Amino acid sequence: MILSYFTPFEVFAQFKGIATNWVVIISAVTVAMGLVYMTNAQIKMYQRNRTPLQLAYVLTTYFFFFAFLISGLAYPGDINSREYQWWFQNIYGNVGATVYAVMFFTLASSAYRTFVVSSIEAVALLLGGMLYTLRQIPLFQVYIPWIVPLGEWVLLVPNTAGGRGAVVAAALAALVVGIRTLWGKEVTLEVAS
Amino acid sequence: MSEKPTTFWEKIGKIDYRWLYALSLIFTIIPIIQPLGLPIQVSEGTIGYFNAIDKLKPGSVVAVSFGASLALLDEQEAQYLATWKMLFQRELKVIFYCTYADSPLIIQKHLGSVVKPENYGKKYGVDYVVLPYAPLGEAGEASFAQNIRGVYPNDIYGTPLDQIPMMKNINDQSAIDLVIFMYTSCTDVEWPIRQWVVPYKKPVIVATLGCCGPMAVPYYPTQIQGFLSGSGMGTEIEIVSKNPGPGAMMSDAKNLGILPFILFFILGNISYLGRRFVTKEVKK
Amino acid sequence: MAAFIDILGGLVGTFFIISVLSMLWKDNPIFRIGQQAIIGATIAHYILLNFKSALNNAVLPMLSGNFWLFIPLFLGVLMYTRLKNEIAWIARYPTSVLVGIGTGVMIAGTMRGQIIDQMKNTVLDFSKSIASGDSMGIFNYLLIVIGVVTSISFFTFTREHKGLLGASAKIGRIFLMISLGANWSGELVWYLTQLIGRLSWIINTVIKTMLLGG
Repeated sequence: MILSYFTPFEVFAQFKGIATNWVVIISAVTVAMGLVYMTNAQIKMYQRNRTPLQLAYVLTTYFFFFAFLISGLAYPGDINSREYQWWFQNIYGNVGATVYAVMFFTLASSAYRTFVVSSIEAVALLLGGMLYTLRQIPLFQVYIPWIVPLGEWVLLVPNTAGGRGAVVAAALAALVVGIRTLWGKEVTLEVAS
Repeated sequence: MSEKPTTFWEKIGKIDYRWLYALSLIFTIIPIIQPLGLPIQVSEGTIGYFNAIDKLKPGSVVAVSFGASLALLDEQEAQYLATWKMLFQRELKVIFYCTYADSPLIIQKHLGSVVKPENYGKKYGVDYVVLPYAPLGEAGEASFAQNIRGVYPNDIYGTPLDQIPMMKNINDQSAIDLVIFMYTSCTDVEWPIRQWVVPYKKPVIVATLGCCGPMAVPYYPTQIQGFLSGSGMGTEIEIVSKNPGPGAMMSDAKNLGILPFILFFILGNISYLGRRFVTKEVKK
Repeated sequence: MAAFIDILGGLVGTFFIISVLSMLWKDNPIFRIGQQAIIGATIAHYILLNFKSALNNAVLPMLSGNFWLFIPLFLGVLMYTRLKNEIAWIARYPTSVLVGIGTGVMIAGTMRGQIIDQMKNTVLDFSKSIASGDSMGIFNYLLIVIGVVTSISFFTFTREHKGLLGASAKIGRIFLMISLGANWSGELVWYLTQLIGRLSWIINTVIKTMLLGG
């Protein structure tokens, strides 16, 4: 893979094409492991707490699993069928979106208690956050017009500075971990396997 | 067991969270029922995004890496619809390839109902093609850039790519003039940089969530020509491209919904400053 | 008035939205039901799509003559051996293939895209601003240069942050905090948008359109 990037030989480029395609196929085939792990987790949850309510939770999981699976296989059009779309849009879409909506309240309540001007770093965090937040809200864009260029400046100058530093540092770390992995020196992978 | 707050400063710093929740809900619902209609200012990243598409020559090929999530559609729908309308309004060839599990369902639903390519005189297989879902990841993006048919032998309807008129002379990055990378995971911005910009010097623009925009900015404008971050910039691209959509309502409703948070945030800081400097309860 | 199935879908969707929002009051069985529903639904959705992808990308081409695709299919199946302790060691082989290819793909682009180009652009932008004579541009790009250098110095963990390195790391921390603040802000507004989307769906789509026929 690395040789395909740094050398002009076509054979390495061809190998890269084949290898990256294999990754896509392997990833696709292994997805059913999620079902096994989910079953394992559900069994353990029920064993820890053998109540009718817990059983109801387990049955709910499998009810929706099979409802989606059957509606995705049994009707013409598979996942594009009207039946699957009904399940997908009304349940999967709504629950997934609402989980993120709940995070607004969590973030807001935690900011109320912890986002205070206790140190210079906290002031920097606060200023960066609040200036860019106000820049995004049309109400403040109209009634505090200078917030727009100031918010843009925060995004394009100090955020870029900090972000680039973080990108370079993270890339250096990723390179080192990658080389150690290829060299067989990465301990965490040995432990994980 | 926590003690009851006694001083004024403590009391305003320990208001029950549920007041914040209730006020936020009420203030968010008001503009949904009665819109305010305030104007929106367009930012630099949006203008760069628009220009990258606008300056394409007729006949250019655009590859849209579509990694949309249904759960996150509220945040990005405005971006998607405005971008698709822009692409169909111009004489471009568009390849949509789905990189996330929800993407095929979203694109098929929206391209059949909300944005109709036929209304722009576009024909499937001649002007645009939709490729199905494949779990690409970064390796898959690299594979796609090198050999499209290796990753997607057929389109979303099962037709072999060799039988699609538009794809006759298109099989790798050499035929692609612009990559639009639509994604939902913040660190994914590195994928098109590493797999499209660095090896092939392809122009790339990105559309992502609001929280991922600041992480894409370090790559702007040299490695990515423009970016859209969140529904706010989705509204901006609607304005710049003159394609109204769902973004306006989203941006409008934010006006009041954020106010309770700002109020509680100010109260939290007043409480802290009062406890530190007035009653000296908090040390630095 | 909308069709019965659409109204039913709207009511079911509304129930699930409220079930998840009820978590704000306290953890309760209604929330748990919504939580368990999405777990089952997500697994089923991913299985449906990925097997279709494997079928189109590997099985059918293999049956059409591209027999080499048997290898990644077989490697994918070997991954399932990790479910049984006695033969879990076999899964190391496909894992190694995935890790090796993924690492190689990542390394190739990282050096240029995220290290060299980032440093080059930082310096080039500053020198271009000096050449142009624009004072605001010079200030901004000088700030970026200082911010990038000091932020990188913050991540130097092999030496104690004392003296010049300490001062540089402290300044770098400030830039990193501003960057974190901007990210936090993006998240806050994103979550608010999600809330607006769901409430708008209930009010405009379910109540106004489906139930009231507006």
